Amino acid sequence: MITLADNAELAFSFPEVHEDAVLHVAFQRTLRIPDDGKTYILPPGLGSFPLQHVDDHVASVSPAWIEHGGVMLPMYQSEAMWIYFRSGRWGGGYPFAVKIATGKVNAVSGKRYKEGLNRRPQDYVVSPGQPWLDGYCVKKGLIRQFVAMPLGAGYTAEEQLTGKADVGGIQIIAYPIKPEVYQRLQRAGERFGLSEDISCMTKSCISDMGLAPGGLMKQDIYRDPYQSSDWHLAHSSRCFVHIANSLVWRQITGQNPPTVPPTSAEYTEAGLPWFDYYDDNLTAVEGSGILAKLKSVVAMGKKKGDVPLPENESVSPKNVIVLREGLKEGQVREWKKAI
Amino acid sequence: MKTFGDYVRKRREERLAEDRKYSVRQVAARIGVQPSYLSKVERGEQPPPSEAKIVALAKELEEDPDVLLALAGKISGDLKAIIEKRPQLFSQLIRELKNMPDHAVLRLVREVRDGKW
Repeated sequence: MITLADNAELAFSFPEVHEDAVLHVAFQRTLRIPDDGKTYILPPGLGSFPLQHVDDHVASVSPAWIEHGGVMLPMYQSEAMWIYFRSGRWGGGYPFAVKIATGKVNAVSGKRYKEGLNRRPQDYVVSPGQPWLDGYCVKKGLIRQFVAMPLGAGYTAEEQLTGKADVGGIQIIAYPIKPEVYQRLQRAGERFGLSEDISCMTKSCISDMGLAPGGLMKQDIYRDPYQSSDWHLAHSSRCFVHIANSLVWRQITGQNPPTVPPTSAEYTEAGLPWFDYYDDNLTAVEGSGILAKLKSVVAMGKKKGDVPLPENESVSPKNVIVLREGLKEGQVREWKKAI
Repeated sequence: MKTFGDYVRKRREERLAEDRKYSVRQVAARIGVQPSYLSKVERGEQPPPSEAKIVALAKELEEDPDVLLALAGKISGDLKAIIEKRPQLFSQLIRELKNMPDHAVLRLVREVRDGKW
């Protein structure tokens, strides 16, 4: 089952499998890195996107959203997202295989969303181990950042790959590892990856946003260290996360969306930190040939003769915090102070 | 029975073993109390602090604030407000749930509905 904790985090729980089988997934607001062909390091977290049950706003969302169920979040076109995974308390966590899709396009393999797990090519991430996912896996060690674009404008990964703007949003499905495997790992004293886990108007399609490929960022998507048979495929929970344009969030919910985020240039000029992350113990998957063919938002804008990003100034991060596997308590990739 | 002070001291000392910023002095400074007061609370020589300080302490130690509040014999303000709004309903509900196993109570928690997609 999936519950919503503090309107900020999805908790995927499998009490029928094991009492420790709980995966937390949060959606972090972040800077939109420049879409300029350069490769950037990890931008900070600027707090969680607020989440609300779609069912609480049946009078103001589209019938498609009601049909999909799930939750919704507000997103500005000027911001980006990373998805954060946390399982268990610090010192270890219950392993999960997590498949992420946007507009039903798998963010790791680029293939059409389908249930189940595929290892070759791998189409999911494993938590603990994969602390976060910032975008589409376009090449080994490189992703294109998840950025918001209006569904129907032709920029989203879904529209580029399927030619349609039917789905939008984010789709997540999580599979726990089998309890006997967990117990075996516990007996072996294995630490599961990283401690503390280091350890997505009214009834109108205008409010619908989808995720599109933005700037390039250095990030490994780690290979599954377990056996196929270790995963408990009979147990899964899935959630549709709808993305509403922040400008219409108030009309839907009656609540203000978060404030407009800073640009990468403003953030960097203020001397605030960027992050770099290494984990030498895990191997990265190859990038997806399908996703590598996606045009970034700026490249697609040029093709269309649009300027989708008025502010896209290159930056050179100087204040860089290096994070390594086995982060200590309190080490976060987040800038919590108001800027 | 585990007391509030024992629990806080145990958790703080566990973190102190890894990081010196969890000394009594530093934790007290971060939650805005005197070190001697926090020390007495940990030893059970002073009653637990206010709800706001307990919540700050829970955040500091990365503990669940509801657990710390319960150990202190308190209930969070938001829960009080919920019960006060519909006292009969929630009192009856809580009494009926008191002997149910955890997994059965968890079934009552609101789930995120999955639809057709």
